[in-house]
Amino acid sequence: MLIPTVTTDRLTLRAPRESDLPAFAAFRASDRTSFLGGPFDETDSFKQLCAIAGHWQIRGFGRWMVADRTTDEPLGVVGLFFPVHWPEPELAWSVFAAGEGRGVAHESACAARDYAYDSLGMTTLISCIDPANSRSIALARRMGATPDGHFDHPRSGAIHVWRHPGPGDTP
Amino acid sequence: MTLLVTEHFTLRRPQASDLTPWTGFYLSERGAWNGGGRDSDEGRAWRMFAAFIGHWEIHGFGPFVIETAGTGSPVGMTGPWFPASHPEPEILWNAWSTQTEGTGTMAEATREVLRHVFEDLQWTTAVSYVDPGNTRSLRLAERLGATVDADAPRPHPDDRVLRHPNPGQRP
Repeated sequence: MLIPTVTTDRLTLRAPRESDLPAFAAFRASDRTSFLGGPFDETDSFKQLCAIAGHWQIRGFGRWMVADRTTDEPLGVVGLFFPVHWPEPELAWSVFAAGEGRGVAHESACAARDYAYDSLGMTTLISCIDPANSRSIALARRMGATPDGHFDHPRSGAIHVWRHPGPGDTP
Repeated sequence: MTLLVTEHFTLRRPQASDLTPWTGFYLSERGAWNGGGRDSDEGRAWRMFAAFIGHWEIHGFGPFVIETAGTGSPVGMTGPWFPASHPEPEILWNAWSTQTEGTGTMAEATREVLRHVFEDLQWTTAVSYVDPGNTRSLRLAERLGATVDADAPRPHPDDRVLRHPNPGQRP
């Protein structure tokens, strides 16, 4: 399948590209991935960039590279994440340093959630957030999500779940 | 859709339906040569395979799954793999079942892949990085006419670099 492009006021959600690797690898090598098991080396980040694209072909949906709509600078990875061992599709977000403090995560996550509900017909979404990740928790709250227990991942242990409002209930 | 055809096999892009046989191989003892093995887990196998699929999206080329002509049963993988951290593009291969060993499958399929990279993709040279303990792969490389390139840079200091002959280049 062709990975769809979604645009918002300031952002383009598009397929990841080879040219995104420097920004993506720099993000994954930084302490910004401390809640995701990082930091990661460049080989791992290349695999991860490929896996983001491959996820779409396996599931029919996935995560986008979020880029500045004007400059195409990569600012984060946001979208629908549903690997093996996940109980249901997750709305996941990661924002690079260049996208920090500008509402990039909120704007792109709302667009991704709308896409899941309006274009894919999904009826519910979770976000998995480390309890110490206060910034992501604040975003989940802002999007109307509420805590919904946890699931046990064979490698990562307890993963804490936030449940988003369903279609029609989104703020 | 890139499709390669040999006498006994069809080589096609990896797809979601390959996940089960791939995972079986990756989590077996033999999968350790490919980053898996008995200590790995299904989540890692899933991500690695998503990366193989996504390699095609990111680079426009990538590894092929080998399908037995007639039955369509996937038996392994062979083809280009080029993470950003590799000194040069690599040809990797893996046979998913011991039943494939000794049948000439990997040699037949990889010969076609070598033709593909030199003729279709216009590569000027190609290597395979093989762990010195992986005697089956070393033997296959030798059978394909590859020779040890002792001076070539390599991703890991322990790797042996096998350089494949380019039939279009006279020595």
